[in-house]
Amino acid sequence: MVQFLQQLVNGLSIGSVYALMAVGYSLVYSIMNFSNFAHGAVIMLGAYFGFYSLTLLRLPFGVSFVLAAVGTGLVAVLLERLAYKPLRERRAPFLYFIITAMGASIFIENLVVATIGPTYKTYPAVFGQGPIQLGALSIGRIDLTMFVVSAISLTALMIFIDRTKMGKAIQASAYNMKASALMGINTDRVIIIVFALGGALAGVAGVLFGMKYLVYPQIGNITNKSFIAAVFGGLGSLPGALIGSVLLALIETFVSGYLSSQYRDLIGFVILIAMLVVRPTGIMGKSAEDKA
Amino acid sequence: MRAVLCGILVVCLALVGCAGGGKSDTVKVGWFGPLTGDNALWGQSELNTVKMMFEDFNAKGGIEVGGKKYKLEVIGYDDKGDGTEAVNVAKRLTSQDKVVAVLGPNGSGEAIPVAPIMNEAKVPLIATVATNPKVTVREDGTLNKFMFRDCFIDPYQGAVAATYAYEKLGKRKAAIFMSVDDQYSAGLTQYFEETFTKLGGKVVEKVSFTSGEKEFRAPLTKIKAADPDIIFSPNYYTDVSLSAKQARELGIKCIMMGGDGWPSDNLIPLAGDALEGSYCVNHLDFEDPAVKPFKDAYTAKYKIPPELNGYMVHDAVVMLVDAMQRAKSFDGTKLAEALESCDVQGITGRIKINPATHNPEGKEAAMLKIVGPKLVFVEKFAAK
Repeated sequence: MVQFLQQLVNGLSIGSVYALMAVGYSLVYSIMNFSNFAHGAVIMLGAYFGFYSLTLLRLPFGVSFVLAAVGTGLVAVLLERLAYKPLRERRAPFLYFIITAMGASIFIENLVVATIGPTYKTYPAVFGQGPIQLGALSIGRIDLTMFVVSAISLTALMIFIDRTKMGKAIQASAYNMKASALMGINTDRVIIIVFALGGALAGVAGVLFGMKYLVYPQIGNITNKSFIAAVFGGLGSLPGALIGSVLLALIETFVSGYLSSQYRDLIGFVILIAMLVVRPTGIMGKSAEDKA
Repeated sequence: MRAVLCGILVVCLALVGCAGGGKSDTVKVGWFGPLTGDNALWGQSELNTVKMMFEDFNAKGGIEVGGKKYKLEVIGYDDKGDGTEAVNVAKRLTSQDKVVAVLGPNGSGEAIPVAPIMNEAKVPLIATVATNPKVTVREDGTLNKFMFRDCFIDPYQGAVAATYAYEKLGKRKAAIFMSVDDQYSAGLTQYFEETFTKLGGKVVEKVSFTSGEKEFRAPLTKIKAADPDIIFSPNYYTDVSLSAKQARELGIKCIMMGGDGWPSDNLIPLAGDALEGSYCVNHLDFEDPAVKPFKDAYTAKYKIPPELNGYMVHDAVVMLVDAMQRAKSFDGTKLAEALESCDVQGITGRIKINPATHNPEGKEAAMLKIVGPKLVFVEKFAAK
């Protein structure tokens, strides 16, 4: 029983980081209808931003978090302006967007390898090392932080999308970009905001991931998992991305905990494929109304 | 053609061997290894060591073999750390330079392809840090008659770790945390498990991960439930430090143990204090008092301390000289026979060659303990 609860805690903490990453994919997908594979590179930059603001600038933890989020938000917007906007204006096929995104991702990763180097770096210990004990259950301080920060960020995002005028504009654009533009919504600005939001969440995810594990140029690879989670939950749906992430993380944890880690990806992906065969739109099937 | 050449070669060697008894008083010994490229530092350290030792012997009038003094001369070639190049220089050493024996190479990747050449030329070779089992015993189980080494093979570290954990640390319940797709990890695990169980200990849990993974808590939680008093982690330093940190987060308190994949300047910076009190097995430690005279002499001569390779080739020379003196001959076959019954005390430990495998058996390893920010040498230790 204790082992079961412990695995549950493990799964939830991994799931919360998957969710932060998956939401970034879903946000961009809901507006632009393509999967932004450069998202992983932005997450990686977030981890480096946080690392250097803690170690080089010696800023406090909270400030470093905000700095990393603002930094990656800017990078994401820059990416949109430089790489995607020219394609949008030329009405390029979606395949071109995906190829551009992959190119950008490889470019950023190698830029980091060339300038900073390929070695692993560790975050300074921000919290005490010892876990919090609840009976026989151990909850890592970083895990708890991951969970709380993810929950706060995601709730803030939901409120922003549901309650603000800009949020409504995002929903409208997700529903129909052309009609929204005709109704007087500045869709170009909507796109900037969406990239900024996705980028900022990527920064938060990057810092959390770097703190929990290590900082290195290939961090972005982990986003394969969050992309799968986003598809699992239903691409384009924020609650879907959340549920998909937590479910995927739980399945992974329980499979490697009770069977063997060799089967983890095997079973995780079989369930994913089965899911898509039965329900291609993912768990939170994206009918046009609840996109975003 | 090759057979003819070979035949001529054998005759030549035999003649050299006989002639050695008469007029010639300089004996040529070959060496090859990387002198350029990524591993150049290791190769240079080896060749410098051999040169230094031979100069010392010659200054004392040479070594005595069969009642006569001989001077030693080393002929060293660069193999660029490459298997094909190693084959070329091995052919040159055996056919043109007609060396009586070869020292090096340092890597398994260069030692494995030259085995057929040494066997054909009947010239014994003593590899230094070539730890792959296939250097001396081929995949089909046949012995390479002329291939030897003075380092222990990878899996042996598992046996050392198990014996040390059971006998010296008094551990009885071990858990194993291994990489599922890595040959090195699998080899160490197999020997650890066999030895620990044979001694009377119990392996309470064995879990694995896939290399490249950064999240280990699911398998570690399984280990926690089994409540071991030591965790064997035969992995490389990144996986070791990251998994140790996660184990501490889960509230696992027992120490860990590993092999020569641990020692690295990055191990402790990455692990923080998660590995405090843990142990690992290494080939030797530079702080070991037994290696001090050699280290000092080398450093004084070359203004740079020797690498691990320097220490290893030092003992390869010790083995070779011992074999020459016992064989009372420089004939390759006789030298190989003498090497098979080698039992000498080197600076890296006692080297007793097993004639069935040509590996040093029960060689002492250096046990290192993590204390604060350092890997500290504890003692030398061998498995039975």
